[in-house]
Amino acid sequence: METNTLKILQIVKVLSWIVFIGLCITAGAVAVTFLISLFVNPAVAGDLYQKLDLSDLYSFGIGHYIAIGLLMILLTVLKAVIFYLVIRIFKNLDINKPFSFETAMLTRIISYVAFAAGLIAMAANGYTEWLIGQGVAMQKDWAGTEWLFLAGIIFVVAIIFTRGVELQSEHELTI
Amino acid sequence: MPIVVNLDVMMAKRKMSLNELSSKVDLTLSNLSVLKTGKAKAIRFSTLESICKALDCQPGDILEYRDK
Repeated sequence: METNTLKILQIVKVLSWIVFIGLCITAGAVAVTFLISLFVNPAVAGDLYQKLDLSDLYSFGIGHYIAIGLLMILLTVLKAVIFYLVIRIFKNLDINKPFSFETAMLTRIISYVAFAAGLIAMAANGYTEWLIGQGVAMQKDWAGTEWLFLAGIIFVVAIIFTRGVELQSEHELTI
Repeated sequence: MPIVVNLDVMMAKRKMSLNELSSKVDLTLSNLSVLKTGKAKAIRFSTLESICKALDCQPGDILEYRDK
């Protein structure tokens, strides 16, 4: 049982690094193509990242285009931050004493970041719907409710984890 | 915490060192030190029993409730 857990932890650790690097590359790619579309070639707005077409939005208003572009970059960066925090959890993790205040704190910070991302995604969703209502042809699902759902679950796990840390501390200080 | 551990007082009364008590109650020096300095969160009845036996005292001599 313990061997399996250790193996799974190792696999998740490697996966976290892969996802983190992938998200950093994605954030970089979105930022670079966004900047190119702004300062070099506006035609890039038609294929910003993975066939994302914001050319209609660009012609509708450069201000709105910048706002949506920044929201996209911000959300990708927040995703990368979440996985950076997961990597930090693995870095601090002592498998013999897994319940530490640092891990509990990092888990709680992850839930706060996910909550912030959820709020930003919800706002972006509303903004996108308003833009579509104005006649702009664009497709972008910001997954705001999913973010909030994720934040809620992680927050509950963080609270339970914190209680686990308190119990471990009590156990250690029972003479 | 309003529960105060007076282990050092009882040890002084009995003129017993921490090393001596440690060997008598079968507790490590670090655990006794945690208890003595009031950092402990809980104490087992078995520990209390062995300390009372070694120091020839009552649990009330070691533990005290002090309202702030």
